[in-house]
Amino acid sequence: MTFEPQILAFCCNWCGYSAADQAGAAKMEYPSGVKIVRLLCTGMMDPYYVLRAFERGFDGVLVVGCHVGSCHYKSGNVQAREQVERVEQIVRALGLDGRVTMTAASAAEGNVFAEAARSFSEKLRKLGPNPIREVVAR
Amino acid sequence: MTARKVGVFICHCGGNISDVVDVKDVREFAAKLDDVALATDFRFACSNEGQERLQQEIRERGLDGVVVACCTPKMYEDMFRAKAGEAGMNPYLLEIANIREQCSYAHRHEPDKATAKAKLLVKAQVEKVRKLRPLEVRTAPIQPGVAVIGGGIAGIHGSLLLANLGHKVTLIEKSPTIGGNMARTVKTFPTDDCAMCTLSPKMNEVYNHPNVTLLTYAEVVDAKRSPGKFTLTVEKKPRYVTDACIGCNRCTERCPVSTAKSPIQVESEWEMGLSKRKAVYLPFPQALPPLWTIDADHCFYFQKKGSCRVCQTICPAKAIDFTQKPERVEVAVGAVLVATGWKEYDPTPLAHYAYGRHPNVVTQLQFARMLDSMGPTSGVVAKPSDGKPADTIVMVQCVGSRGPPGDPVVHEYCSRVCCMVAVKHAQLLKKARPEAEVYILYNDLRAFGKGFEEYYAKSMEIGVKYVRGLPGRVRADGETLLVDVQDMNSGRRLALPADVVVLSAAMEPMPVDNLLAALHLDKSPDGFVKEYHAKINPTETAVKGVFVAGCAQGPKDITDTIAQAGSAAMSAAVFLGSGQMTLNPLVAEVDPALCRACDRCTEVCEFDAVRVDPQSLVAVIDETACEGCGKCTVVCPTAAISVRQFTKPQIVAAIDALAPLAVAP
Repeated sequence: MTFEPQILAFCCNWCGYSAADQAGAAKMEYPSGVKIVRLLCTGMMDPYYVLRAFERGFDGVLVVGCHVGSCHYKSGNVQAREQVERVEQIVRALGLDGRVTMTAASAAEGNVFAEAARSFSEKLRKLGPNPIREVVAR
Repeated sequence: MTARKVGVFICHCGGNISDVVDVKDVREFAAKLDDVALATDFRFACSNEGQERLQQEIRERGLDGVVVACCTPKMYEDMFRAKAGEAGMNPYLLEIANIREQCSYAHRHEPDKATAKAKLLVKAQVEKVRKLRPLEVRTAPIQPGVAVIGGGIAGIHGSLLLANLGHKVTLIEKSPTIGGNMARTVKTFPTDDCAMCTLSPKMNEVYNHPNVTLLTYAEVVDAKRSPGKFTLTVEKKPRYVTDACIGCNRCTERCPVSTAKSPIQVESEWEMGLSKRKAVYLPFPQALPPLWTIDADHCFYFQKKGSCRVCQTICPAKAIDFTQKPERVEVAVGAVLVATGWKEYDPTPLAHYAYGRHPNVVTQLQFARMLDSMGPTSGVVAKPSDGKPADTIVMVQCVGSRGPPGDPVVHEYCSRVCCMVAVKHAQLLKKARPEAEVYILYNDLRAFGKGFEEYYAKSMEIGVKYVRGLPGRVRADGETLLVDVQDMNSGRRLALPADVVVLSAAMEPMPVDNLLAALHLDKSPDGFVKEYHAKINPTETAVKGVFVAGCAQGPKDITDTIAQAGSAAMSAAVFLGSGQMTLNPLVAEVDPALCRACDRCTEVCEFDAVRVDPQSLVAVIDETACEGCGKCTVVCPTAAISVRQFTKPQIVAAIDALAPLAVAP
């Protein structure tokens, strides 16, 4: 069976989630391994969620917020970026380097969302399954 | 925890979902999930029939949780929640599983995968719903009354509309009179109406309106916000002239300030520094209120320890009162309209234009004063250096506007009005003195409004000359000025002689940082007040109950200012008229038992929505200010703060449900 990367996508309510809607509405296809959790703002994205996602076997975590300067809540996306950078260091130490990424897409940029989902999925396909899966399964 | 009764309603969306996703499979899967009391499907969940069935099932089965698997929550989440609420369930126990945009649309060529994903999305929302608790929707009464800050045309127009709708308006103006910049502009394009003749009746109307309280020579120094109410602290500066003033002007006539021998000289703000004024003055004849003001900073009585009391001695009405003190008043209102307007850019830093170095280089607003028959030159365009009539005028566009990004002295934005102001002033001069030569040096000429292109064409007909190119230098050549410019259309280098050079200086926001900070308003990168949405909501702001009108929001001509102020007034009226505001329940809340008052939440909050109560040493949320972004929930070291409906256990439940590995026991 071919490896289908499982991606947890945290999308802010205003931009990321709407971009994903836009991608769907415009029938832009992206891998079905991408599962979206809606947050009001990426600013509420707790690094713990990322760790939880890896413990539960996700192969990658994608965070999609508004462009810098366009955050519905002024700069929640900036805090999210800081948190992503923080958690990147932790996951690197766990041998999960490259499995967390953050991108910005406006509500109209369905193509940006779809492309981010596709390219991240492709990258994870090359990286292979989350090694923690095996550890936990054991 | 007692068992919940969750209903799962799966929509076919008339085939949009069911043509790809195997709805029966999803339904059978959902039916087996924990706490699911009902899993059903229908053709259109959003139809009347669908809504009625949803309500019927909630009532009959006593559901205390609902997942609707359908299109994006952006479409019908609010509607389904309202319907669930009508059926007696707490509306916030309903969640949407987005199986259309995220499954049948995005994976339409992979029906099996789309179905498998739809099951997971339903499961995630069921798990989240199991963790939800009912939320109380609270409302706060809105304080009647509105404060309008700024008495220019935007504030006047907004005040009048609101007052005519029956709202009590407090109009606050920092200078001694209302009228703003429009009063200075002589005539208005493209109709050449006399500005004062159109403005003055509105000034009178607002001054005499029974629903308008006018506070002039007054500034908002602080603002406090509570649910549905703003309390503004307004400082009224002393005029040292009482209401007994009869407007006889004798004080001004006799005031020694700005006379030839006086050591104190004051430039007239109203005349843009082209003439002097006395220390006791009325800014202009139509000023309202028609009260004289003593400018203490330039008055001998205040500057030379009571040495002069000429005005007091001469006043027949005994209206001079040197003992007046600044006075603070509190104004409680439900809404605030910010109409703080604009000021003209000071071109001094652009040394090549010689402004400030040569008296015959002026700005358009100064030129407007020269064109005014009531102005310092009685409407004769004359050289400020010697008062002799000016025959050749060269106007320079985009002064301080349309600079490169990040330029320290030139704004990046277009000021939008300067093209037409130049066209207007050139025409006014040409009409008055056809023999005068008027050049407009421009980069792009923007005649975009109704009647503007025709107005521009007319100016060319009557002989206004246009040169495409901005000057490299303005230099003195004996009595006259020479303007070096390359005509970009012909490539020729010109040195245009000019008696007066007029700089079309940019519109800048009034410096009102303290006010914006007090009201928690942001600025756009251009420095103007940030509106809620630049395109579809340009009159509201991110602060509920605060609206923005006129040039406070961005450069505008008078036509657009009137239109936008009207829209802002309407938005304010709708807000006030609702009588009460619904407080969004999806905001942060604090568990007092866990809070240890470390202040990290207050540091990251950008809405000033959380503070640590000094008595109880617990963080307290201002629910009217909190927007629910949740930044505080991430930095809180004890997990004492959470955003309702997005708490950590709720989000983790969704993550776990979607995850490839089952949750460890």
